[in-house]
Amino acid sequence: MQAFLNQLPQQLVNGLTLGAVYALIALGYTMVYGILQLLNFAHGDVYMVGAFVGLGTLNALAPKSGLLLPAWAILPLMLLAAMLVCGALGAVIEWFAYRPLRNAPRIAPLISALGVSFFIQNAMLLLLSASYRTMRTEVLLPIRMGFDIGPARMSAVRALVIAVALLLMVALQLLVRRTRLGRAMRAVAIDREAAAMMGVDVDRVIVATFVIGSALAGAAGVLVGLAFTQVWHFMGFTAGLKGFTAAVVGGIGSIPGAVLGGLLIGLSETLAVGFISPTYKDLIAFVVLILVLLVRPAGLLGRRAQPKV
Amino acid sequence: MRFRFLLVLGLMLALSACGAGGAATPSATNAPAATTAPAATTAPAATEAPAATTAPAATEAPAATTASTAAASSDGPVRIGILGPFTGGAATVGQEQLNFAKLAVADFNKANGTSYELVEGDTELDPAKAVIVAQRLASDESIYALVGPAGSQEVTAVQPILGPVNLGFISPSATRVDLTEQSFTNFFRVVPRDDVQGATNATFMVDVLKATKVWLIDDQSAYSTGLNDQVELVLKEQGVTATRESITQDDSDFSALVTRIKGDAPEVIFVSWQLAPQAVVFAKQLVEQGVTATLFGADGLFDATNFIEGAAGATDGAYVSFFAPDVSAVAEAKAVVEAYTAQYGNAGPFGAPAYVATMVALEAIQRAEQAGPLSREAVLAELPKTNMESSILGIPITFDAKGDLKDAAFFLFQVKDGKFNLVK
Repeated sequence: MQAFLNQLPQQLVNGLTLGAVYALIALGYTMVYGILQLLNFAHGDVYMVGAFVGLGTLNALAPKSGLLLPAWAILPLMLLAAMLVCGALGAVIEWFAYRPLRNAPRIAPLISALGVSFFIQNAMLLLLSASYRTMRTEVLLPIRMGFDIGPARMSAVRALVIAVALLLMVALQLLVRRTRLGRAMRAVAIDREAAAMMGVDVDRVIVATFVIGSALAGAAGVLVGLAFTQVWHFMGFTAGLKGFTAAVVGGIGSIPGAVLGGLLIGLSETLAVGFISPTYKDLIAFVVLILVLLVRPAGLLGRRAQPKV
Repeated sequence: MRFRFLLVLGLMLALSACGAGGAATPSATNAPAATTAPAATTAPAATEAPAATTAPAATEAPAATTASTAAASSDGPVRIGILGPFTGGAATVGQEQLNFAKLAVADFNKANGTSYELVEGDTELDPAKAVIVAQRLASDESIYALVGPAGSQEVTAVQPILGPVNLGFISPSATRVDLTEQSFTNFFRVVPRDDVQGATNATFMVDVLKATKVWLIDDQSAYSTGLNDQVELVLKEQGVTATRESITQDDSDFSALVTRIKGDAPEVIFVSWQLAPQAVVFAKQLVEQGVTATLFGADGLFDATNFIEGAAGATDGAYVSFFAPDVSAVAEAKAVVEAYTAQYGNAGPFGAPAYVATMVALEAIQRAEQAGPLSREAVLAELPKTNMESSILGIPITFDAKGDLKDAAFFLFQVKDGKFNLVK
């Protein structure tokens, strides 16, 4: 019990970092599902591409000989590059794999999504080989840099991950609640046909949703690369699965739900490792999913879909 | 119309492949095992394997190659195969093994006027892939012996394929104890076993590092859990508290585990992992939370590029055990290391056993060829008789009845000044 209390603050910091990343991934799942009722299984692989873009940017701007730019400039550039590339990738995926199937039975785009996922994974494997890459975070943020919150150590990297994730979530919430595009997205989510009749350009809104969701995944990829320093072509699979779980736990289609779900999954995984054993990590995460669905089948903040007449 | 044509073409190809496989059966005793096994064993494995899309292509290949080589095997080329992780997380290891094996084949051919060839099979350190590749090599009748595979879990995976076809294989790096305890008659290794490694490491932790509390973390691979069993055994005998824990090879966030370790404050953390980049991630997270325990790794982490250069100081002072000496300090290895450096660049530690394993295979084939008609059975009968008076490992190479190397020892290195320094 004493050990539990001593370690709890640090475990909360650990869990918060992981949860913030899961939440970012879950947002992309939930946005696309909200608008298209489509599970975009390629989302985890977009996240992986984001991690590689971040790695490439870092290696280009910080070669072994030294930094070409100050660290505070490289970090935003890594995020920006990953978000741009992933946003574009999201638009291409939508145009190539989902738009032709817009009116097909729901199983068709699902299979198309799996195909895209395999395609991206194997394309990266062929382009970059199966080697594990190390993100040299320490040239930007030294490992020992950070501060203490009571008994817990908050390293600079973790602080950055949590801050950037929070910033992006707030920005997304403002976009959806306060802008014209956001209003159009909500309209399409509620009733696509009615929105189209009211003059909303549905295709444009869908592309925008994919671009934003994928950009968030790209940012998550960079943040994970920075925090855990390991980047490889298959990293999107587990992360995508966890992001999806988080989205479902929170109530798929709900943006605050995705954030809540992400944090819940991240924290429960961390506490499982910290107080039971690493081998129970995934087990606990999915038990949380099952428990939540048993009690609230639509997820924590989800609403039961109203059948459209 | 066009689609129908393609369909017919596809069916014809499939039928001809089956026919070819069937035709090869009478001439070769091994064909049934080799051609029927894939359907059963690779299908489930392929769905779990990361690069699953390559599996179907690989499983169809054997049928085709068997047919073409079966006819030519009487007077065709004589080959050995090498199984290793030429890509993936352990690619540095695999590439080094491959290059040393290539060098050994070239050296042997030059010295003996032979023209033996080397066939590569990339396993990515994944038992599921190793099975597929082993099937491909087993069905190629011009192959008389194999070098590899690298990982212990791969040895257990490929043995059921290589055993029935009497194909001898010599691993240059698999150290798990039970590999030579389960009456495989066709498995040999030129490296010591993990009971030697476990005892060496545990004794060092107790005698030199004065450890009273040790954490043993495995990565759930057969090699890793087996080695931790051995270390735990010796530590317990010495009255040391040993805590066991497991992670998976896909993990990159160890912070929750690190927090727990910090709370328990052990003197030594033993990570018998196979992926050096992963161990570096762990080392960095130890530093992040200010854990000062000594990090201790095994032969899987003996990889300077990843474990030292990639660590940016996080692994300074860490110990690593390894099954081969520093070859640059072995007199017998001087010429080979020089030739290697000229051709491939810096010689790392994993290559020398691969060189020796390749030599063992080639010598056995040569002896079998001189004694009578060359067959896999004849080569397999020659392998236990191996008797090299000296090798580039600095020790003579002879096998005991189990296929283990006689008088093999483990060596301990410490990371210091950007390199591995021999301490014992």
